[in-house]
Amino acid sequence: MDLVALQSILDNTSFAVLFVTMLLYWGGAAFPRLPYLNSLSTAGMAIANLCIAGLLGARWLEAGYFPLSNMYESLFFLTWGLTTFHFFAERVGQSRLVGVVTAPVAMGITAFATLTLPPEMQNSAPLVPALKSNWLMMHVSVMMLSYSALMVGSLLAIAFLVVTWGQDIELKGSSVGTGGFRAQLKRTTLQESAPSQFSASEGGTAVLSPPQSATRTLSLQRLTLAESLDNLSYRVLGLGFPLLTIGIISGAVWANEAWGAPWSWDPKETWALIVWLVFAAYLHARITRGWQGRRPAFLATAGFFVVWICYLGVNLLGKGLHSYGWFF
Amino acid sequence: MLSSTFRRVRTELLPILADLRFAIALLLAIALFSISGTVIEQEQSAAFYQANYPEAPALFGFLTWKVILAIGLDHVYKTWWFLSLMILFGSSLATCTFTRQFPALKAARTWKFYDRPRQFEKLALSAMVPTSATAASLAPLAQALAQKRFKVFQSDNALYARKGLAGRIGPIVVHASMILILLGAIWGTFTGFMAQELVPSGDTFRVQNIVQAGSWARPQIPKDWSMRVNRFWIDYTSTGDIDQFYSDLSVLDNQGQEIDRKTIHVNQPLKHQGVTVYQTDWAIAAVKVRVNNSPIFRLPMARLQVEGGRLWGTWVPIKPDLSAGVSLVARDMQGTVVVYDTTGKLIGSLRTGMSLSVEGIELSLIEVIGSTGLQIKADPGIPFVYAGFGLLMLSVMISYISHSQVWALLEDETLYIGGRTNRGQILFERELVEVVNQLQQEELNVAAAPLVTAEAGDLT
Repeated sequence: MDLVALQSILDNTSFAVLFVTMLLYWGGAAFPRLPYLNSLSTAGMAIANLCIAGLLGARWLEAGYFPLSNMYESLFFLTWGLTTFHFFAERVGQSRLVGVVTAPVAMGITAFATLTLPPEMQNSAPLVPALKSNWLMMHVSVMMLSYSALMVGSLLAIAFLVVTWGQDIELKGSSVGTGGFRAQLKRTTLQESAPSQFSASEGGTAVLSPPQSATRTLSLQRLTLAESLDNLSYRVLGLGFPLLTIGIISGAVWANEAWGAPWSWDPKETWALIVWLVFAAYLHARITRGWQGRRPAFLATAGFFVVWICYLGVNLLGKGLHSYGWFF
Repeated sequence: MLSSTFRRVRTELLPILADLRFAIALLLAIALFSISGTVIEQEQSAAFYQANYPEAPALFGFLTWKVILAIGLDHVYKTWWFLSLMILFGSSLATCTFTRQFPALKAARTWKFYDRPRQFEKLALSAMVPTSATAASLAPLAQALAQKRFKVFQSDNALYARKGLAGRIGPIVVHASMILILLGAIWGTFTGFMAQELVPSGDTFRVQNIVQAGSWARPQIPKDWSMRVNRFWIDYTSTGDIDQFYSDLSVLDNQGQEIDRKTIHVNQPLKHQGVTVYQTDWAIAAVKVRVNNSPIFRLPMARLQVEGGRLWGTWVPIKPDLSAGVSLVARDMQGTVVVYDTTGKLIGSLRTGMSLSVEGIELSLIEVIGSTGLQIKADPGIPFVYAGFGLLMLSVMISYISHSQVWALLEDETLYIGGRTNRGQILFERELVEVVNQLQQEELNVAAAPLVTAEAGDLT
């Protein structure tokens, strides 16, 4: 079979499918009562994910090494990671809002890779001597996966900020402080303002019918839309952070085994450290008394842009071993 | 005097170091200063900064070369203030472990049964399940929780269950391993050394050109052995790009006897007695040529100062009094040199083993000899850094686990149940809802059994 023709079909298909999927997610959010939209949009995301996996697999077969050697391949790997973590978040959160924020970003990246990147940068290129190592697969793939997890997590934090804009928030989903405890008054106001179709689980079977007597009764206080978005973002970022840590460490070990210096403050590794520091600050902000809610979400939002600078911005300098393609 | 200093440290310094907001500020400050080092070019000459950061007009109104050199923005990561930040970071990590994490772990380990219904009111995820007196038991709950991998503790009328205690231990190990990495790095800078040698193929050398060495690095530098470069070569791809550099190296003892031998390339160094030799660079050292029927001359080649490329050149005398000669220029080690005549005119290219007529003589190229660029290094801090790396990777994954706790109390024909978790709220909520629904369903079944015919309508 002609692998090159297959690749061009697959990359255009994944772009088209992601575009339609984005519209389906947005439609589903705007008209929650329309049937089939939910399953259609999830199916679209799955098709895109498989198309990209096929594309990368075809390039792997064609070039004979793990397809992460240039900008085009790494953009597609990033999108594959985004769609994969999208499924994780959608499954855990059981919320349609995940796709509303992840689908447009995934679509944007594939659009850039297929339409904007010049053709000579889409072709696979031979590896330079420094990159001929099994560490390449380990280090680069873990780094890319961590970028995608961190992007999905911070997109959810942005969604949290949008949903709670102008509201007073009191959250349960934090590690210490007020986490897990009742805050009766504020919770009732939030429950009223949150659209019910997005709440963490539909049906509300857990609310127990109160006994007849006037004594105090307890029923489970479910997470509101804002709270579940906040916690979902935390859990996805909580996956991205270990991945980033492992990715940076594998890079340091590789550099030490290959050149005898685990850390040389090259711009790319410095920016990876900056990403790590920003998300470490995020994780600590979540457990700081009185900081639950918006402040960590602002840090995660900043983190979204820092990840992009680390991933693409540094390549504009075109210096060092990490300059896998630039375009200006 | 000493004790009062100690008390001041405890009462004034420690609370700041242990403050989470201080830690966050520190993380972001390190990030911010690190950015400056990626924006401003590092380790350049003073002339470079004078040319690129003039005093008028100053960049952003203040960033002149004088400012850059004065506060060390030309070598951010080695300045005293950046290193102080790192030390402060290490102290904050250590303090936080002792003043926050250990007490939090202790609190998590020492649990209590809830014995009053009031205690459930503070939990967001708490509920009351009415039970009939005949069926009042904690056993179904205990079983349901055990199925969800909770560890269950039970008394007559109270229950406590937990899982994911490892999630409380993870962050402690994260902090400890980061301290280990920092200490390993400091130990390495004091006891390690790094040298660079550019050695022509066939030469023997000792480690001499030391680029950087710590105060206690002397014992690491090899004295009782030397090294011979048996051969250095480059493999090229069909398109002429470099595929890989290779150096065939022998380690020799003081008598010149070979005690170790290995062919190294990038990503594949040689290790001998704690010293590692890496392939990092290359150059062209010399050419071997013959003029007419002369003996073979070995002429050194020098690097030419040209923009955007690596070129080496040499001069071959063609008259016995050295009054005239031709120039040879080589770009790579694929065995071809370019020949220019006495007037600087291009004559043509010459391959290894071939000859060429120039200025009335026959010039034969025997061989192009390369030099291998080696980096020689010892870092006794590496085992500690690697141990820290391993622990950090493991513990940062464990830290994802959410520590979940469930309490229950049976009182006045009511089952009070409540719980909380520190990270994964969504999944914990789902688990607890399932458990409560299950209990409620069982209760309905028990209560409904004798009454099915009479009150079926009300129950659905």
